[in-house]
Amino acid sequence: MLRLITDSLRGLIHPLAALLLGLAAGAVAIAAVGGAIGETYAEMWKGAFGSFYYTTNTLARATPIMLIGLGVALAFRAGFFNLGAEGQLLFGALAAAVTALYLPAPPAVAMIAALLAGLVAGGIWSLLAGWLDLKFRLNLLISTLLLNYIAIYICSYFVSFPLKDTSGSAAINQTNMIDRAVWLPKLFKGMSVHAGFVIAAVAAALLFFILRHTVAGYHLRMHGSNPLFALYGGVRRGRLMVWAMLASGGFAGLAGAVEVLGTQYRYIDNALTAPGYAWSGIMAALLANSHPLGTAAAAILLAALQTGGMGVERNTEVPLEIASVIQAAIILFISARFMHALFKRGKARAADGSAA
Amino acid sequence: MLLQMERITKTYGDVVANAGVDFTLEKGEVHALVGENGAGKTTLMRILYGEETPTSGTIRLRGEERTFRSPEDAIRAGIGMVHQHFMLFPSFTVAENIVAGREPRSGILFDRKKAAEEVARLSAEYGMPVDPNRRVADCPLGIQQRVEILKVLYQGADIIILDEPSAVLTPLEVRELLAAIRGLARRGKSFILITHKLQEVMDVADRITVLRDGRVTATVRAADTDVEELSRLMVGRELVPFEKRPARPGEPVLEVQRLTIRGGRGKAKPLLDGVTFSVRAGEIVGVAGISGNGQSELIEALAGLRRIDAGAVRLCGRDVTGADVRDIRRQGLAHIPEDRYRWGSAKEESICDNGAMGHTDRAKRFGLLLRGRVRRLAESWIDGFRIKAESPDAKAGSLSGGNLQKLIAARELAHGSPLVIAAEPTRGVDIGAMEIIHGELLKRRDEGGAILLVSSELTEILKLSDRILVLFEGRIAGELAAEEATEEEISRLMAGVTDHADRSERAHVAAYHG
Repeated sequence: MLRLITDSLRGLIHPLAALLLGLAAGAVAIAAVGGAIGETYAEMWKGAFGSFYYTTNTLARATPIMLIGLGVALAFRAGFFNLGAEGQLLFGALAAAVTALYLPAPPAVAMIAALLAGLVAGGIWSLLAGWLDLKFRLNLLISTLLLNYIAIYICSYFVSFPLKDTSGSAAINQTNMIDRAVWLPKLFKGMSVHAGFVIAAVAAALLFFILRHTVAGYHLRMHGSNPLFALYGGVRRGRLMVWAMLASGGFAGLAGAVEVLGTQYRYIDNALTAPGYAWSGIMAALLANSHPLGTAAAAILLAALQTGGMGVERNTEVPLEIASVIQAAIILFISARFMHALFKRGKARAADGSAA
Repeated sequence: MLLQMERITKTYGDVVANAGVDFTLEKGEVHALVGENGAGKTTLMRILYGEETPTSGTIRLRGEERTFRSPEDAIRAGIGMVHQHFMLFPSFTVAENIVAGREPRSGILFDRKKAAEEVARLSAEYGMPVDPNRRVADCPLGIQQRVEILKVLYQGADIIILDEPSAVLTPLEVRELLAAIRGLARRGKSFILITHKLQEVMDVADRITVLRDGRVTATVRAADTDVEELSRLMVGRELVPFEKRPARPGEPVLEVQRLTIRGGRGKAKPLLDGVTFSVRAGEIVGVAGISGNGQSELIEALAGLRRIDAGAVRLCGRDVTGADVRDIRRQGLAHIPEDRYRWGSAKEESICDNGAMGHTDRAKRFGLLLRGRVRRLAESWIDGFRIKAESPDAKAGSLSGGNLQKLIAARELAHGSPLVIAAEPTRGVDIGAMEIIHGELLKRRDEGGAILLVSSELTEILKLSDRILVLFEGRIAGELAAEEATEEEISRLMAGVTDHADRSERAHVAAYHG
């Protein structure tokens, strides 16, 4: 247990150092546009966690990022590159909206059915890429990425024509409003964070448990670590891929469902792609090296940078884009494995067995 | 004195890899560095080659104190290293590989013709013939090694470190290598030879330094010692004399009928061509051959990792032709793979996780992995096979090669399966590990297990096998009973020298009915 704790602490050093370096790079950017560094960061903190309201706001924004990140992390841990979170998110959201709108069932049942519909829709869209790999050896990286565009336009078509809300103004392509009784409950009255955050937190814990304590999770990790070792041991790649892609896309689909039922209450064209949830989710998984709990934490961090950036824009002359600069800098520092190269050279060598 | 390494100490946290090691080398000398895996040989050489910095100690080159911060530094000072795993670009020619990094130019362009000329000159000068324009991928391993040595010479090395140079070579290639080393030493080059193979050391070295647990246990002149004394110094105890009772074979466990695997696209020659044999309970069947004659394909096909084009495989009486790995394993196969890093382990994962592979069925409840049970299994293997490991939670990659190999052997033998495929079970491991693995394989045989031993190490084949098959170009070139097999005869079959079709047929029939 102690080892577990020290290990996770050691795992934190690198992301924290990258975070500090990212903030330092951000300071340069702030100075370059003529802002006051201290004041800007203070506003940023306030915008993200400055009050209970802002904190819940940040958690609400983190919710879809967490779920998407978990799905991506699961695929990465299995050794599959699923970059199709955006498309899976959209199909999940659309399926959830349609179910919530048109399923003739009591509200509680409709809500659960809508969540499940989102999960299944996202999973199936993701599985399509897995099937293309198994059947035609189509590279997952490419197929998942390109399937995003198809998903975006298909969903866009549905809300622009057959499912379009024609009651109100015709300016926005969106579905009808979902009945209030089917909405995910808010966690606190008047605050934006909703039950979806609880779902995401439970999902993180669940994924952590599955990876660590189930046979399926064990096989998945081994396949991700050395696919040939897993094959040699009798792990069936095809079956593993089907389940991993289904679950991975399922998480993204669930993110879409939760966002529709908890925040937007209808499917609105571009409302899920514009904030870049999918890419933030992929970043969260990368930041945390695909560790489930770390991914959840990283998702909150990324959401905080975004809500904090909005705070900065509200209250200072520094533009919103600065938050993106900081975010990008942090990602760069982490993916550069900066600490690794600089300080851990000797140590890493020792660990890879070359001490022999 | 050309090189003096004095009181070299290297620690990684609590682990002491080298403790006050002294090592010297004279011009024109061949100095062998022997010791078990994890004894600190490689660490010492990495320090000399600038890949590690010592915690303390000094290095003097031609009397002058030096520190090497990188291999580049060491190369400039005239120190070259040939790694155990060759570092060549297979799709480039011999000459391109040798000059890589120090290419002759004409203007800004790479002067390919000049490179070939220089390589030809170098190869003639040192009496190491190579064809400069041949692609490395098309060269046998013995030639590839020659290319590695020429590369180091081209870089201007006076001191050449060879790490396990004979691990992948055929007996003939080893003899050529040793002759080449002696020849270069006569021309004033100095060699540091890291190896486990004591007979080669006795044949080629002037002096021998033995390391154990990071310390020098002795530095002796080759003329003043023998193989027995060296192994005692390495292991720190007397080795148990090897005893093997005659086999009492029972029912056939593995029956292979006309197994054929076609070559890749555009290759007319099949990789395996109508291979027929059987392995019975209670016997070890050795498959000898120069690597690349179909051994890998045979192992992978039997294990379910490769598609079979024709023929049939029966395991414990059931047809498993074309079955997948999981089904074959369930039917009764355990498999010590040829390459412990490629197939046999996941370096980044823990020893426990590496040990659990294939054992999850007996360590699960309701789909949950019983980590406690896996851990106890791993601990019992660490004890039983004397695996040197920090803890069962340490990464598998932190084990030395020999200890990882013991872990894999332990994991596979723990299945208690009717058939064990042991592919190169002791490649690159030290005497102690070899003793344990060989002992366990033999024990399994005596308990009625069927063992298919695939090895390119003739001594290993001769020591363990009850029957010996020789693979040459995807066919069984001959089959010999262990009692009548000699190294010379197997070597001839391995090289495909004589036509044995008729004799092998008879031997096969005899073995079957005998």
